[in-house]
This record gives sequence, C-alpha cells and structure tokens, in this order.
Amino acid sequence: MAAKAGATPATYSPSPTTNKKTRPPLFTDVDWVRPDGRDFHQCRPAFLRTGAVNAASGSAYAEFGNTKVIVSIFGPRESKKAMMYSDIGRLNCNVSYTTFATPVRGQASENKDISSQLHKSLEGAIMLDTFPKTTVDVFALVLESGGCDLPVVISCASLALADAGIMMYDLVAAVSVSCLGKNLVIDPVTEEENYQGGSLMITCLPSRNEVTQLTITGEWSASKIHEAMELCLDACSKLGKIMRSCLKESASTSQE
Amino acid sequence: MVDSANSTNDLSSEMEVDAFRRLFPLRFHERHLLESVRPDARPLGKARDTSLALGAVGSADGSALAKIGCTTMLAAIKMEVMTPANETPDEGCIAIEFHMPAICSPIVRPGRPAEAAPVVSKQLSDTILSSGMIDLKELSLVSGKAAWMAYLDIYCLDADGALFDAALLAAAAAFSHLQIPVVSLNDEGRIVVVSKGEKLKNKPVNEEKRKLKLRSIPFALTCIIHKNYILADPTAEEESIMETLITIVLDSSCQLVSLYKPGGPALAYESIIQDCIALSRQRLRELQTILNEAMCDMEVD
Repeated sequence: MAAKAGATPATYSPSPTTNKKTRPPLFTDVDWVRPDGRDFHQCRPAFLRTGAVNAASGSAYAEFGNTKVIVSIFGPRESKKAMMYSDIGRLNCNVSYTTFATPVRGQASENKDISSQLHKSLEGAIMLDTFPKTTVDVFALVLESGGCDLPVVISCASLALADAGIMMYDLVAAVSVSCLGKNLVIDPVTEEENYQGGSLMITCLPSRNEVTQLTITGEWSASKIHEAMELCLDACSKLGKIMRSCLKESASTSQE
Repeated sequence: MVDSANSTNDLSSEMEVDAFRRLFPLRFHERHLLESVRPDARPLGKARDTSLALGAVGSADGSALAKIGCTTMLAAIKMEVMTPANETPDEGCIAIEFHMPAICSPIVRPGRPAEAAPVVSKQLSDTILSSGMIDLKELSLVSGKAAWMAYLDIYCLDADGALFDAALLAAAAAFSHLQIPVVSLNDEGRIVVVSKGEKLKNKPVNEEKRKLKLRSIPFALTCIIHKNYILADPTAEEESIMETLITIVLDSSCQLVSLYKPGGPALAYESIIQDCIALSRQRLRELQTILNEAMCDMEVD
C-alpha cells in the first residue's frame, strides 16, 4: 500500500511549460495571429445554460472557449447568526477553482480577490431591498481556466441570479480587453493574458447602459482607454442579448 | 404517539400534497412504499437514469462526467512524476481526493467542508486501491528513479444522493479515458513530455504504455433499508428521511469488493443483504453497458 495520500512524495509536472518560460516574439510584432486564430476584436463563441445544478435555487453554466464555469445561487436564506440586523438583503460571493483548472495542478490564483470583485460588480444590479434580513449566496466553481475567468464568472453569476428569480435591474454582462504591444485584443485567452501589457474590464447593465465596475491595470494611453471601452461596451451589449435569449429559451422550455 | 399518527392520517386526505410532504416526510414516503412506488415514480429496486461522458476536461490527462439522476460528478486525472519509495522502486502512486464545493448543495458553505466529503474520499481510495483495478507497477517509468503519480480529483457538481456510487463511476470512467503522455528522460534526469514531431536524443521511456490495463472495474450500488423495504439508488431527500444505508461494491466478475453499512437505526439481516447484492448484480450489468457505450462513442470521435 504505497498509495497513501498522507505520505505523498514531492511530484512535478512533466509538461515543458513549467520548465522554461520564454516570451513568444510574435506578440511584439505588428501582425501576428492569435493562438486560437480569432480576429483581434472577435470574442470566443459563448455557450450558456441555466439550471445546471438541481440542488440550488438557481444556477448557470457558461463555456467561453476553454473557460468553463458553474455558478449556483442559494437563498434568499437566513443570514449568519453573527450578522447584525439589516434592512436590505446581503450578497455573499465565493469563487473557487478545481485542482485541474490550470495546466499545472493546483496552481489556481488567489481567489479572495476574485470573490470580492464578483461581489462588487453584482451588488449594484441586484434589488437588495427585495429580500431584507436575508442573504443570497453566489457560489462559483471554475472547472477549467482558459483566460478571462472573472468576466465569465460575472456574466454566468448574473444569469444564475435571474434563474433563481432574484430581482435585478438588469443582467450584468462583463467583457475584458488586453493590450498586447500596439494591439487591443478582446476576450483574451490565458496565453495572451500572461503576456499582456495592460487589461481593462467592464461589467455593465447592457439595456440601461450603466457600468457597475471598471478595472484598468497596466499602462494605458487616454486614447487607448477610450478605444478599449468602446470595444467592451459593444461586446457587452452583444453578450447581453445572448444571455437574454438563453433565459427566454429556458423559460419557454419549462412552460411546455 | 398513536394519537398523533392517527391525526396525520386524517390530515393526509385534507392537506395539499406538497404541504404533507414537508410536514410529515416519513409518512409521505411510507405511503408511497405501501404502493411499491417512490415519489419520483420509480419502482423500489430501480436506479435513476445514468449517463457518462468521457473527456470532459481538456486540461487533464483523463476525465469523465457521470450523472446518476441529478447527482453529477466530474472526475479528472493529472499525471505527475515522482521518485518512487525505496521499498517499492517499480511502483507508481494514485492519490484520490473527493471534493464537495459550495455549489453542489445548500448544506455546504465555503470554508466549512462537508462532513460527507472526507468519508467518501476514504471509501473511494480504499475501493479503488484494494479492488486491484490498477496495477501500480504499470505506473513505473524508470525503476527506482521515476514513476507516475496519478492525481485523481473528483468534484461533486450537484449532490442528490448516492454520492459514492456516482463518484466511483466517474473515477473508473476517468481511468478508462486516461491517456498517459509520452515522456522521455532528459540530461538533467528529469522526465519531460515529448511533443509531437520533436526529435530527441533520448528515446521516450513509455511509448507502448499509453493506456492503463484496467483489470476489474468496481461498480457500486447504495440502497436504503427501511423496515422491510429496500430502495436502490436513493435521492438526497430519501437519504435524509430514511437513514440506514448500505453500499455494495462488486467488480466486473460479480465478486464482492466491499460492503459498507455505516450504522443506522435499521439492522441488516442476511436475507436483506442477499437482496441488496442481487440488486447490485443487476446494476453492475447496466453500469458496464453504460461505460462500454461511453468508451465506444469516444473511439468513434
């Protein structure tokens, strides 16, 4: 009986990505091709479904290329005992990764930060006063991380909230753009994210044209920011339409 | 006691079904059992619809998604390299972990692991390692120097009863799907993956050993014992109301691998155990067919 988890010896992944990290020169060139062959301003095909987890009050599954996410909603239910009285409802968000989400096992990034960003981008869209004294739990599991994890989690979470019948002003759509050399690429994959000079993410309510969160990291010029925001907002409104049609579809099938 | 029992009997004809189900769950189920049917319209001995999809996770070396009714399990294997222990220079290792993330059930909260998770985890590694399904010698790469460590992680995506059965099915399917990467020993004595078309000075060490030979695959069936009734493949609701569970694991040749009855108010008599084993035999055939079909689908693609 050598195979005991307690006595696990040190192991390493044989894949070459862990051994050498050389920056591919192509990103610095003017014309290069994206790893998955997309146009710079083209998003990955999105697959969305509600009702993925039966045990939850509402849930959704989202797949953008290799990024695969499940979000479950529980509640509104009793807040934790230690919580103070609150006139408005509370939102509790948590994002976790599977151990096989990343190419090398168990290397998922810090997810406290992602959880709080998810909370911030959703809270503005939810009518918290419709469930006073109680908590709605938003739990996300990233099954596979293929780039743009946070935007996908946010969009998927808002779909799951709608599935759970939580009152919202609008769906929340999130899209990010990476700055690679002189180019702006929308909906970047992990490889592009690793070499990006900067990134910009917008989460917005597409039909109200309101932004709940805008994060910019890295080096940006004012004109680039403007261009990137236009790109993101345009993509958000398209994503919003896809999300809406997904909800309509599930509503019409459940009626039958 | 008699009084309250009588009063609920009377109520059952007056109350709405949903209210009766919530207020008197045991009574609700027992009235079904009297008619030899379950709330989801199954006969007592029948398992729920089961489906299996191989290769669900792209970033893993082997993976499978198993669904029994609403219970959903995602299993994935990642192969890493280790130095084998001195006592067993020709053997690899398998590390099995069962996870219940917060998404799977309203009972689980983040940071507070579910009680069931470590129990199922232990049961799974005991069953897989003792059933002899995998010969650990097959995981050896270079005797005494390098061997495979197979990390098997099983995630419960939706918990609706019979967790162990679904997890074991997903685990067995992930091992049947496992494609071991071709590796070679480099000059520094490390094992590295050989990418396609790459020319190497050193020959790959495992060109013929891409697939594991699975000798006898174990399959499980969990039953509830309640009074004289046996309910195969319980849902979460049934598990919470009738607490005596018995799990039987048989291998491909119908040999008993393990029998697990963790307490509970009902006692298991010999005849009941015999009946459970008979049900497990039927279930074994069903599961074997499902696994074979899933593997055929994979080869066609």
